[in-house]
Amino acid sequence: MEDPGIAERLVDSLVRPDGSPKKRPVHTIGIGATGSFLASHVARDYCISKHFQGTETPVTVRFSNGSGSAVQHDGWSDVRGMATRFHLDDGTATDLIAMTLPEFFTPTPETFLDFALAAKPAKFSRESPWRKILDMLKLTPPMRDPYPGETVRPDEGAMRFADRNGYAQLAVFQAAAIGAPASYDRASYHAVHTFVITAPDGTRRWVRFTWQPIAGVLDTNPNAPPEDVYLQDKLRERLALAPARFSLMMSIGEIGDAFDDPTRPWPPHRVRVMMGTLTLDTVVKDQEADCERLSFNPGLLTDGIEPSGDLVLRARKDVYEISSKRRGAVPCPFSRSQANDE
Amino acid sequence: MNTEFDSNDLQGNILRGYRRDLVRYLILEVDNPAAARRFLAAAVAGNNDAVPAITREKSWTRKPGFCFNIGLTYEGLRALGTPSDCLATFPTEFVQGMTHRAIKLGDFGTSAPANWAPPFNHPERVHVVASVYANDTPQLDQVQDQVARAFNVLGVRNGYNLEDDKVYFGYVDNISQPRFNRIDDPDQAKVDEPIDPLGTILLGYPTRFEDVLFRVPSPAELGHNGTFNAFRILAQDVAGFERYLDTAADALLRHPDVDQLLAPGEEDRIGAGLDRHGALREIVAAQMCGRWRNGVSYEASPDAAVVPDPRAPKFRTNFDYDRTSRCPAGSHMRRVNPRGGPIVQRIANYTRRLVRRGMSYGPRDVDPRKPENDDQEWGLLGNFIGANLGAQFEAVMCDWLNLGLQDPNITGSNDPLFGANSPESSWFDLTLRNGGTIRLRGFPRFVTTRGGAYLFLPSLPAIRYLSELNG
Amino acid sequence: MTNDGGWFDRFVDSLPERGWFKFLSTYVVVPYWVWRDPKPKLPGGPRASAQPSENVQRMMNLIMPLKDSSPIGRAKAALAIAQNVDEIFAGLDNVGTVHTARFLLLDDYICMISVYDGDFSNYIRDFIATIGSVFDEVVSLVEGGDDLIPTTHNVERFIDWVHAHDLFQAPDFPTDLFGLQDTASGRSPDSPPHELRSLPRELILQLNANPNISLGGGYRAYPGFSAAQVRGKFGVGW
Repeated sequence: MEDPGIAERLVDSLVRPDGSPKKRPVHTIGIGATGSFLASHVARDYCISKHFQGTETPVTVRFSNGSGSAVQHDGWSDVRGMATRFHLDDGTATDLIAMTLPEFFTPTPETFLDFALAAKPAKFSRESPWRKILDMLKLTPPMRDPYPGETVRPDEGAMRFADRNGYAQLAVFQAAAIGAPASYDRASYHAVHTFVITAPDGTRRWVRFTWQPIAGVLDTNPNAPPEDVYLQDKLRERLALAPARFSLMMSIGEIGDAFDDPTRPWPPHRVRVMMGTLTLDTVVKDQEADCERLSFNPGLLTDGIEPSGDLVLRARKDVYEISSKRRGAVPCPFSRSQANDE
Repeated sequence: MNTEFDSNDLQGNILRGYRRDLVRYLILEVDNPAAARRFLAAAVAGNNDAVPAITREKSWTRKPGFCFNIGLTYEGLRALGTPSDCLATFPTEFVQGMTHRAIKLGDFGTSAPANWAPPFNHPERVHVVASVYANDTPQLDQVQDQVARAFNVLGVRNGYNLEDDKVYFGYVDNISQPRFNRIDDPDQAKVDEPIDPLGTILLGYPTRFEDVLFRVPSPAELGHNGTFNAFRILAQDVAGFERYLDTAADALLRHPDVDQLLAPGEEDRIGAGLDRHGALREIVAAQMCGRWRNGVSYEASPDAAVVPDPRAPKFRTNFDYDRTSRCPAGSHMRRVNPRGGPIVQRIANYTRRLVRRGMSYGPRDVDPRKPENDDQEWGLLGNFIGANLGAQFEAVMCDWLNLGLQDPNITGSNDPLFGANSPESSWFDLTLRNGGTIRLRGFPRFVTTRGGAYLFLPSLPAIRYLSELNG
Repeated sequence: MTNDGGWFDRFVDSLPERGWFKFLSTYVVVPYWVWRDPKPKLPGGPRASAQPSENVQRMMNLIMPLKDSSPIGRAKAALAIAQNVDEIFAGLDNVGTVHTARFLLLDDYICMISVYDGDFSNYIRDFIATIGSVFDEVVSLVEGGDDLIPTTHNVERFIDWVHAHDLFQAPDFPTDLFGLQDTASGRSPDSPPHELRSLPRELILQLNANPNISLGGGYRAYPGFSAAQVRGKFGVGW
């Protein structure tokens, strides 16, 4: 990376007053589950990676709330995360990190640092009724009322940043209205960055991945009072009854698409390939040892999948490592192919 | 409909090429409409030594020293004082101009109008593009001086014929052209392609589409016998193209099916003294274009560029495509002119024909294939002429040259030579003797648009009409 | 959501659902903004795009006002379509780029809805050449259509007319609306960036200029493939 300090500064910038140094600075509250991934019968035509060859691959998944607050507020509107580790049969692993927001806030690590500082959760006060009336007369929606107990939030800072930086507008707009899923397994999760996959004949394709819940996408009623604690219980309850399944859909990029810019999602008309099915059947018993201390990393790839030129994707690799070291987690088991591209 | 046809009314660059060594395009702004109109009046009358006469469509007994013709943009027609109710009868694509049609034409990324060379980055000022053809530079200079007295010369583009009618990718060009009803063109005497109705190239005549007439701008004096021209400055990445041929040949040498592309021992049929790598390069070049670089059609001679008489009509113009064609459906030639071959839009065979006139540009004393000369630019000054820009030039560009809608086996890919490609997404299928294919990928864009304009080429009476406007 | 901002705040939150406030918004607030910040009507149909997958399976939503929307007028329209089935199929099969097409009578409109491959004007032009007579019958039922007959002699005007009656397709990503509005007003898109919170207002004002729109570019089960590719894969020829 050009600026060796940027990853450190990014981790610093993410820390929020109500977070915990022992935990992740964002996506702090989470729950792990295990199961397996089975590639579709066409996946191997597109990618030579081991988990796309058609045999079952064991996986560990961590679902999370995007917020860096160490206090659980499941019902608050927030981006959710789904980090998936595929345990490959040669003892290595590869990760796919996804979130409910279909795009990222900024196109580069430097602009993300600016964004993180500008959108640092800050004290805010409820919009006054007079101000709300003024907003209604301007045909703009009033800012969201605080949830009970909510004193800091990133919304105002993010909105100000987006007003100055057009690239952040789509993510800020969608994040502001993203809501809360009825259960972690009732949301779509987008890997946001572009990866380059290699087919058996050597063809390289620029692709993006999305997990789609087979049970369907379902959010809570945004007008009902939010519950603070339900997502983890819901997942336990649902997995006890039946496995949760996700389809892995892959879009193939075309000329003129934003290969290296995670702020620009691709239109929904790209060729879409069904790459496989994830089945989650068990909530991890020892959450601390077998999930919370794991270090997922979007840079943990395997033969057949490479990062694109996306600078944020490249920076995230270091950011996740630094963050993992700081909280004393199990270091990320980088595979051979990753060690080579240092 | 007025179907009377007097070729003396036409500008001379529409139905045939002049076959001169040099061309100069003068890109002009009308800054003094009265002076511009006086110039046009004299240019039509041809009676003023200080003003170059418009060259007409007629066979001359003594070759004139130079040929001079003009085309006008919509902004140019307006600047000369064309009334708005007449302007409103011109077709939308011409009114909007080439820059507004950029994405349809594949002009995005490095080819985007915002990146065009001056003066084309200010399309609103490009009013007239005049062309001067001659065999020597003093002639060109003299005409330019005369033009500059009546117009503001925004830019000048010089072109020349490379030897043997070649273009900078090394192919012999200028072979296949439409030929027209009622027009006698000795160059095309032995061509067996269907004859095109005059409405393909001139406004006011029946078209290839049964019953369809393209709108003639009014008044008829202005529109009749006129036509449209997509003028394009196309930079060719010669070094990049040759580099890619090396890359492709390297990969093909390792390919298990390579013998189906080139039987061992047949390298000499591709070119005298070529090794296997060199011959494979030429096969890739030939399949991408649809012609060997010596002009022989790939369809007519898929296994050999070396043929007894490469200029014979059967190797150049007299062939057709079918479902078993060896010439790839994705090749440049088949994309821009699928002839009578199978296409998805069955009703569109032969309806999108264009007249092409091009000359090369770029420094002549420097080798474009050397990477150290990458900062220099070579290319083509192209004219794509037809009675309806939307039905012909644009239709070819957006559905056939790019996208490849005409054949499901190429749909989703762009023209390998002239298309809007990127290494991440490009592909092209080479055909093999056994009916199989080998897919090439990873090639960049070889041709970048550097400028251009949609022009109306008025008839002589129309130029006179324009010269008599006021305002 | 719970509200602990006091009775006045609760009252303000309920305003958008109150009849008098809706009335005020509809007849005073929105007209004020329409006057202050009028939006040009955005053009219909899919937008020009570099990507192949944006150039297949494109949508046409042609909404044409009936001259006579009485039951008799509607019956005439129904008959005009019914009597031209051979013409339509011959066109469909030989133009080769249409996935689906259908006609609807909807309130005071006759609608032609289709999914086609490739460029819009090529699609319409090829159809005029094959079934111009059907178009003539359809537009003869439609307000403003008489000037277009015969369509074979008014190709350019007919294409422009269809384009003008094709529904604007809202962008797939909501914030892209800013750029489309800028371009339509002759400004360079998003420079400077717009105030993000103004997006709902911009949408309301745009819906005033384009009351009928297509919500996004549609959803596809097998995006990126042409009709001929589908036919080819199924072995039914193209």
